[in-house]
Amino acid sequence: MDELMTARSLTTRPVVTLGGDAVAQVKDTVFDAAAGRIVGFALSGRGLLSGSLGHRLPWSAVHCLGHDAVMIRSRRDPAGASPVPPDGEVLRDRVLGARLLTDSGTEVGTVLDVVVAGGRSGRVVGFRVDASKALVPGPRRRRRRVYVPRGEDLTVTGRALVLPGESVRVTEDLSGLGALAAGRPGCTP
Amino acid sequence: MLFSRVRGLPVVAPDATETGVVTSLAVDVDAGTVTHLRLRGRHRRETVLPWAAVHAVEPDAVLVHAHSPGPSDAPAPPHDLLGSRVLTDTGEARGTVLDAVFDPDTGRVLAVFTTLGTLSAELLLGLGDYALVVRATG
Repeated sequence: MDELMTARSLTTRPVVTLGGDAVAQVKDTVFDAAAGRIVGFALSGRGLLSGSLGHRLPWSAVHCLGHDAVMIRSRRDPAGASPVPPDGEVLRDRVLGARLLTDSGTEVGTVLDVVVAGGRSGRVVGFRVDASKALVPGPRRRRRRVYVPRGEDLTVTGRALVLPGESVRVTEDLSGLGALAAGRPGCTP
Repeated sequence: MLFSRVRGLPVVAPDATETGVVTSLAVDVDAGTVTHLRLRGRHRRETVLPWAAVHAVEPDAVLVHAHSPGPSDAPAPPHDLLGSRVLTDTGEARGTVLDAVFDPDTGRVLAVFTTLGTLSAELLLGLGDYALVVRATG
């Protein structure tokens, strides 16, 4: 099972070649329109002008997303690497603050962060959510931050993410989210 | 022999003149060998001696070949192995390099000692300005 990490925690993570050179650091994470996987990163800092990566790193150039660094194969874009799609959802712009609903219209809460799997998949595993009153009853100040697995059939409509089904499974910690989501192989083949 | 053991050794030419003191060893991680000795010579000048010019590494001195051109100002690979951060190719931190062992006859790097244990030389992938990258195991 790949290590789970929140997209916010990826900010400032160094981008390092397999040759050991740091070429940039992560400024933001870019997701596909369905918020299903990472399509790339926006970069900042560290020798950007000397490298040819520019300010965007497509996921196809990533060797492995690790706990301490984003590993890339080389300083140059590998031939045939697809650019980051322009319609990708930059974390800060679109996904954070989005409403999470069930398809019957029940509000689950507001997205605080996106949980992704480390390794080579770039898969979105779930969301860290400021839970709504309907989901976690109680006074607002005691309302809890919970993790909700993404599942396979999430749809995106405008500024809302819609989960299929009536019941929403939630957990209070990242390891619990890993148990709710299906395991996948890691970086090593 | 340990990298740290070579540091500070005098470099002696065949005519017994001392040309400098070893400050560090430069390695080619791909080839797994020591490529240069970095020296501090007279007037604190930094020079490099290619490994091919080394005749022998003795416990108390490095002896230079009789017909080698001796130390030069040519640049060696810039990154120092000792003190380098260690990252796996999967992006996990694995401590820092404390020391390394090489064969003084061939210059082959045999193992790297880190704050988290010993790494065999076959695991090394690259050494850059940020880290020593090693193959993840297990």
